[in-house]
Amino acid sequence: MTISAAEASEQVRRKDIRDRWLLSAPALILIAVAGVGPLLIVVLYSFLAPGNYGDVKWQFSTDAWFSVLFTRDIFDDTLSIADAHLSIFWRSIKLAIATTGLCVAFGFPTAYFIATRPSHNRQIWLFLITIPFWTNMLIRAFAIQEVIRNEGIVNTLLMKLGLIAAPIPMMFSDFAILLGMTYVFLPLMVLPLYASIEKLDFRLIEAAYDLYASRWNVLFRVIVPLVKPGLIAGAILVFIPALSSYVIPRVLGGGKNLMIGNLIELQFGQGRNWPLGASLSVTLVIIVLVAMLYYVKNASKSGGAHG
Amino acid sequence: MHQQPAGTTRGGDIDMQNVVKDFGHFRAVDNVSLKIASNEFFTLLGPSGCGKTTLLRMLAGFEMPTGGKILLDKADISLLPPNRRPINTVFQNYALFPHMTVAENIGFGLKMLGRPKAEIEKVTQDMLRLVQLEARGKHLVTQLSGGQQQRVALARALAPQPKVLLLDEPLSALDLKLRKSMQIELKRLQMETGITFVFVTHDQEEALTMSDRIAVMSEGKVRQVGAPDAIYDRPADRFVADFIGETNFLAADVVSVNGNVARVRLASGKEIAARFAEGTQPSGKVTVVIRPEHARAAAVSAEADLKGTIQTIVYLGTDTHIHAVLEDGTHFTVRQQNSRSGPCGFSTGEQIGIHMSDDVAQILRD
Amino acid sequence: MAKPFSVRRVPGFSTIAMICFIGLYLPIVTLVIYAFNAGTSIAIWEGFSLRWFQSAWNNAQVIDASIRSLQIAVTASVVATVVATMAAIATTRTVQYRGLTFKYAFINLPLLVPEIVTAVALLIFFSRVKVWTGYSGLGYLIAAHAAFCVPFAYLPIRARLESMDLTLERAAADLYATPFQAFRYVTLPLLWPGVLAGFMLGFVISLDDVVITEFVKSGGQDTLPTYMLGQLRRVVTPEMNAISTVFLLLSFAIVTIFFFLSRTEKTS
Repeated sequence: MTISAAEASEQVRRKDIRDRWLLSAPALILIAVAGVGPLLIVVLYSFLAPGNYGDVKWQFSTDAWFSVLFTRDIFDDTLSIADAHLSIFWRSIKLAIATTGLCVAFGFPTAYFIATRPSHNRQIWLFLITIPFWTNMLIRAFAIQEVIRNEGIVNTLLMKLGLIAAPIPMMFSDFAILLGMTYVFLPLMVLPLYASIEKLDFRLIEAAYDLYASRWNVLFRVIVPLVKPGLIAGAILVFIPALSSYVIPRVLGGGKNLMIGNLIELQFGQGRNWPLGASLSVTLVIIVLVAMLYYVKNASKSGGAHG
Repeated sequence: MHQQPAGTTRGGDIDMQNVVKDFGHFRAVDNVSLKIASNEFFTLLGPSGCGKTTLLRMLAGFEMPTGGKILLDKADISLLPPNRRPINTVFQNYALFPHMTVAENIGFGLKMLGRPKAEIEKVTQDMLRLVQLEARGKHLVTQLSGGQQQRVALARALAPQPKVLLLDEPLSALDLKLRKSMQIELKRLQMETGITFVFVTHDQEEALTMSDRIAVMSEGKVRQVGAPDAIYDRPADRFVADFIGETNFLAADVVSVNGNVARVRLASGKEIAARFAEGTQPSGKVTVVIRPEHARAAAVSAEADLKGTIQTIVYLGTDTHIHAVLEDGTHFTVRQQNSRSGPCGFSTGEQIGIHMSDDVAQILRD
Repeated sequence: MAKPFSVRRVPGFSTIAMICFIGLYLPIVTLVIYAFNAGTSIAIWEGFSLRWFQSAWNNAQVIDASIRSLQIAVTASVVATVVATMAAIATTRTVQYRGLTFKYAFINLPLLVPEIVTAVALLIFFSRVKVWTGYSGLGYLIAAHAAFCVPFAYLPIRARLESMDLTLERAAADLYATPFQAFRYVTLPLLWPGVLAGFMLGFVISLDDVVITEFVKSGGQDTLPTYMLGQLRRVVTPEMNAISTVFLLLSFAIVTIFFFLSRTEKTS
C-alpha cells in the first residue's frame, strides 16, 4: 500500500463529489437546454433589429428597449411615452395586486378554517383545495366563462328570477380577468397560509384574550403578525403568475383587455417584432425577480426575528 | 484480501496503530493504538463526543482514518469499504430495513454474499432460534417491539458469521429491565459464538458488567485500558477515576515509597498506605482517590484517619451515602451498607471520624 | 343563540371558507353537468344525453390531440423523473460542497421564470434548431415538457430522500452489499413512493400545459389543451364540456392516488 490514509480519504471525497456532479448532470443539462438556458438568447434578441417577417436582423440595436417605454412619431421624429405599453403594464400590475388582495381576503379565512379543523379532517379539506389546483387551468378558465357569459348560468338565473331584464355583460372585461385569476390562483394562497397557521401556538391567542384583547385585536395584533411569513409567501406565489398571466386574459379578457403576457405574444405573432417581444420578456423577468428578492429579504428578516 | 466471513469459528484480532481521524479542524480520534484479542468482549467507554463512536465507525469502514492503520488478523483493512470487511455492526437505532420482513432482514447479508437460497434459509432459521424469535420470521420489522427489534438487529449482524461484531450503544433505547436481561444475553452470545465483540457505550455499569477489557476514552484519546476491576480499583488518572463510579479526591504528601506501595500523609496529619501505577515514581504533592465504599464512618476518635462534619445523609435502600466536609474544607463521601437495624444512625451536623482500611487509596498519575 | 366562546374561532371565517369551497367547485360542477346536455347550448338544459361524449370520441382531431398529449406527458414525465431522481440523490445527504447550492437553485429555476417568457425563449431557440437540423418532430415538445417537469418531480423525491435514514444504506454496506446492491435493495424500494409521486406530478403538469406547448409546437402538433384553446375562440358546444369532463376525471384520479400515496407515507 503506497498511499497514506489521508490521501485515500481525500480521494474518496473527491470521487464522491465527482459522482454527484455526474449524477446531476442530465437534469442540469436538460434544464439548461430546454428550460432556462434559452433565456440568454432572449436577452440577446432584445438588442437586435426586427426582421421583416418576424425573427431578427443580425445588427445591434437598442430600439426595442427604447420602444418599451417610448414611441417615436413617424412624421416629426419627436419622442413620446409609449402609452399603449405602459397602460398594459399598469393594468397587469393593478390586476395582479387586486388578485393578490382578493386571494388574501378569501384565502386567509379558508386557510384558518382548515387549520382549526380536527387533525384527522384537515387532510380532506386540504385535498379539496388542492384538486382544482391540479386540474387544467384552461378548463378552469373555461368553467368561469360558462358561469359569467351572457347566456351563462348567472345571467340566466337572474333573468329567470326577473331581477334583470337583459343579461349583464361580464365577459371580456377586467372584472372577468380578475375573477378568473382569483379563482385559479386561490389555492396558491391557501396552501402556504395553512402551513403557517397550522404551526400557530394557540396558547398565544389564549394569552392575548387573557390580557383583555378583543377578537379584532387578537386577529390583527397576534394572528396576522405570527403568520406573516405564510402571508408573504402566498402573496408572492399569487402575484408572480398573476402578473405574467397569459391564458386567463386570453380566454376571459378577449382581444382588447391585454396583459403583459398577451402583449409579448403579440410581438411574436401579428406584431412581428421579436426584439420588442424579447425586451418586454426581459422586463417581465426583472419585475418578477424584484418581487422575489423582496420576498427573500422579508422571509429572512422574519426568520431572524424568530430564531 | 477479502476473506469469506462465514465458516469462521473464532473471532479476528484487531490491531489499531496510531489511528487519527480529523473532521476539518476537529480531531475526533487522536493517535489511538489498541490491540483487541480474538474472542474478546472489548468495550470503548467514554462520555459523548469522546471519539468512541468515530473509532467504531472506522472499524466498520464508514469512515476512513486520517492517519494510522487498522489491522484485522494482521492484514491492513484501513481503506477497505464496509462491504468488503468481515465485520458487522449492530446500529444504535438498529437500522432495520423497514420494507423487509424479519427473515429478509436477517438473510440480507448472506444474500449479498451470493450464498445459495437453502443456506440462507437455514442460517436465518438458526438465527431466529438463537434470538428466540422463531415465530416472527414473516413479520415486518415495524410490527416488533423495541426489544424484539434489538434482537433482530443482533441476529442480522451475526448471520454472516463475521469475525468481529461491532455494537454501537445498542441497549440505549431499551428500558432498564430489558437492558439488564440483554446485557446477560449479549455476554452469553459472545461466549457461544466466539466472535470478537467491540462494544461502545457511555454507561459505565454496562461496561463493567459485560466486558473482558475496557478502554476509557476522552477527547479522542484512550485514557486507560484494562479489565473492569483494574479500571475501577486502580484508575490511572483523574478523568477515569471521576468518570467511573463515585470517588473522593484527597491531596496528600508522599512520605516514603516501598516497592509498589507508598506512605502518604493526608491533610489531617494521618499517614495511610497508597498504591500507584506501575512505572511511575510518586513524590512530593500528589492526589489520592478513595472509593466511598472503602471508607467507614464512626464516632470521632483519635484513631480516625479523617475528621469531618456531616452535611447531608442520603438513604438509597441498600446503602446510605454520608456527605461530609473535612476540616480543610474538602468534601468526602462515605457509603455505608444499611443493616437490619436501619440506616446509619448518624444525623446531619454531627462530627464523625472516617476510617479507611489499608491498601484502598490509589495515587493518580499527574 | 350565542355560540360558546372558543379561542380558535374567528367570526365570519367559516362562512367565507364555505363560500370559497362552493366557489371553487360550482363552476367545475356546472361544466361537467352541461357535458351531458342533449341540446347544443352550454347554458340551457335540454335533457340528459351522452351525445357530446360520442361526438368527441368521433372527432378525429380530439382523439389525435389526446393521443399526442398522453405520448408527450408519459415520455416527458418518465425522463423528468429519471433525471430528477438522479439529481435528488446527488444533492441530498451530503456535506456542503461547492456547487451544491447552485444545483439546487438551478433545478428549481423553471418554477421562477414566467411561463410566457420560457415559451418565447424556447420558440426563438427551437425555431433556429429546427432550421439547422431539419428535424421538427415531437422531440422539442418532449424536451420542453421534461425540463419544466424536473422541479416538480425533484421536490417529492428530495423530500423522501431527506427523511430517509442514512444508516440503512450503511447497514446494507456493512452486510456486504456493494454500492449498487445497496441502491437496488434498500434505497430504491424505500424511495419508490417519492419517485411515483414525482412521476405523477410531472405527468399532470405536462398534461395541463398550454402556454409552452402553444409556442413550441410545429404545425399539426396540437395537444388537447392547445386544441381546446383554439376551439374556445369559436362558438362552443357541449363537446368542449365533454372533453373537459374526461380530462378532469383523469387529473382527479391521478391527484387522488397521489394524495393517498403521500398519506400512507406519513402514517407508516
